[in-house]
Amino acid sequence: MRFVFVMGLMAACQSSDVSREVGARCDTNADCDQKCEVPSANWPDGFCTELCDTDANCPEGTVCIDEDGGICAFTCAADPDCTFLGAYSCKQRDSHGGGAKVNACRGD
Amino acid sequence: MSRRLTLALVLVATPAFADAITPPTTNPVAPPDLSDQAIGVELGAATGGRVTAGGLRVEGHYLYQLSARDWFDGTADFTFGGNSPGCFRDRSNAFICDHGLASGDAFEIVAAVRHFFVGDGQFWPFVRGGVGLRFVRFGDDSVTGVAIPLHLGGGVRVSITPAVAITVQGELELGIGDFSHTLGAEPQLGIAITAGVEFRL
Repeated sequence: MRFVFVMGLMAACQSSDVSREVGARCDTNADCDQKCEVPSANWPDGFCTELCDTDANCPEGTVCIDEDGGICAFTCAADPDCTFLGAYSCKQRDSHGGGAKVNACRGD
Repeated sequence: MSRRLTLALVLVATPAFADAITPPTTNPVAPPDLSDQAIGVELGAATGGRVTAGGLRVEGHYLYQLSARDWFDGTADFTFGGNSPGCFRDRSNAFICDHGLASGDAFEIVAAVRHFFVGDGQFWPFVRGGVGLRFVRFGDDSVTGVAIPLHLGGGVRVSITPAVAITVQGELELGIGDFSHTLGAEPQLGIAITAGVEFRL
């Protein structure tokens, strides 16, 4: 009985690194809370994201990059930080609204 | 009528009459106003998450006395939550649902036992345990499931009139279910707090 309870609790508390907000795989916007970057070399397997003006509009762990009018992408320091997304690597991109360069996980 | 027959009738009738007018000398072990059957309705809130439905909870109860302190508590309940989508495919293409505390809809039938502890006047605390069969639906994600949750909780019954009582209770709901859309076996974990009224039958 105790085993079942603990297993249930553990399973109930599992979480994913990605979400419908940012990071989930997608084919259309309906797969995401807001926007789907459809599968391409830039966004392998598709990438759910949110529109943004500054980093403050993005969930924790993501930054606002200057693409498609400003979208949130996972921040990184090196390529291994992006492996949880699959075929993604750490690339330097323009920050949207900040005027600086930021590192974000991306395909090509 | 003979004098002997009259005496016999008096001897038989006197103890029965005395029982009718003399209050019981022992303290009751369950609410004295609760008969062997009762019905009740409760309203409250249930917390959900992932593939556990949460939101407004409406319950109907049927109570049937099993022993001095125990009543069978058959319950049918509905849970009405929001219907915003909460499922997605993670990077390994696994379908995951991460609904909030008040999302989804559910209908459940529960067979439980309510055990009363010795109360104080109008107030009668109890514990309740049982098992349910639950149908869960998250409409915006086209996800449905059937679950078997255990219910463990307790509350208090407050007698208002000889035929009416108020109940307040909370319970933990823990179980497992089988869900559509490649989800398969998923846990059910939630808390429900309800309050309502009971009528003796």
